[in-house]
Amino acid sequence: MTTLTTDRLTLRVPTLDDFDPLAAFYASDRSRFVGGPQTAELTWRTLATEVGHWHLRGYGRFAVEERSSGKLCGIIGPFFPLGFPEPELGWDLMNGFEGKGYATEAARAVRDYVYGTLGMTTLISLIAHGNTGSEAVARRLGCVEEPEVFTHERWGELRVFRHPSPGELA
Amino acid sequence: MDIPTLETDRLILRAPSMDDLDREILFYTGDHAKFVGGAKGPFACAQGILARIGHWHVKGFGAFHLEEKETGLCMGRVGPIEPYGWPEREIGWSLMPDATGKGYATEAAQRIRDYVYDDLGWTTVISLIDPENTASARVATRLGARFEKTFEHVEFGTMYIWRHPGPGERP
Repeated sequence: MTTLTTDRLTLRVPTLDDFDPLAAFYASDRSRFVGGPQTAELTWRTLATEVGHWHLRGYGRFAVEERSSGKLCGIIGPFFPLGFPEPELGWDLMNGFEGKGYATEAARAVRDYVYGTLGMTTLISLIAHGNTGSEAVARRLGCVEEPEVFTHERWGELRVFRHPSPGELA
Repeated sequence: MDIPTLETDRLILRAPSMDDLDREILFYTGDHAKFVGGAKGPFACAQGILARIGHWHVKGFGAFHLEEKETGLCMGRVGPIEPYGWPEREIGWSLMPDATGKGYATEAAQRIRDYVYDDLGWTTVISLIDPENTASARVATRLGARFEKTFEHVEFGTMYIWRHPGPGERP
């Protein structure tokens, strides 16, 4: 399946080898904006769900590796589960990888892939209230917040940030 | 990987599909799911199907959906599964509320047990059953499995481990 590369990162389909850093992220308070903290048992199911999404939709969120260390530094990519208004570009940085610009770097590459290769014409990012780190990434990527919020069964009320369209990026 | 399809007299055992979502939602509404984690909303049901498909790809085996030949409807799910935190590989089963009492769990689990022994080469397998789930215990008994010991799961609490007859001991 698909692999993308940027200056510092390799983006690939998640595998079971990603479990430990993902479980550490979901065990920490840093996951509070994306449904956590949660048990390792639930995180294993989350990982299986990410892989299942790839197989059902043909795309999904990438496991993002820091190439210099080979470590998992994020889970970033297009995500379109039941109930979402349209495909979302999501980014979760693993513990210890904040503040390096990795989310922005990976999301930019993924957005090019989603528009260019998958042929999608719109993208949003859904961000929980108070998640200022994620909001900063969205603004760096040129997103504009929409007036209406979106409420989801699991994640509750989320702010909707709309990405520039393919034409606006060209 | 390609998820295999198996067959019994009355059932097609096939890959989980999002086309089964309505049936999945039916199962997780009310108290039908009380022994396997409890009620869930539509989103969680859809994520459950994705997780089941993902399980196949990360582990190389996973749960089948049971399609009733006569109606084409999904009548339930039967393992094998081994998610994180499980004591070992198990064949689990759960039937839709309108699919019970027909012997479908026994029919499917027996075929799948043959599959894990004969095609995957396993030498032993268990089933994890809630202590109060007498219907499931009856299926295990019918399959020749025996209660072995209890197991404490972080999320599901106390479960009984039933061990199936090995490949050479099948009834």
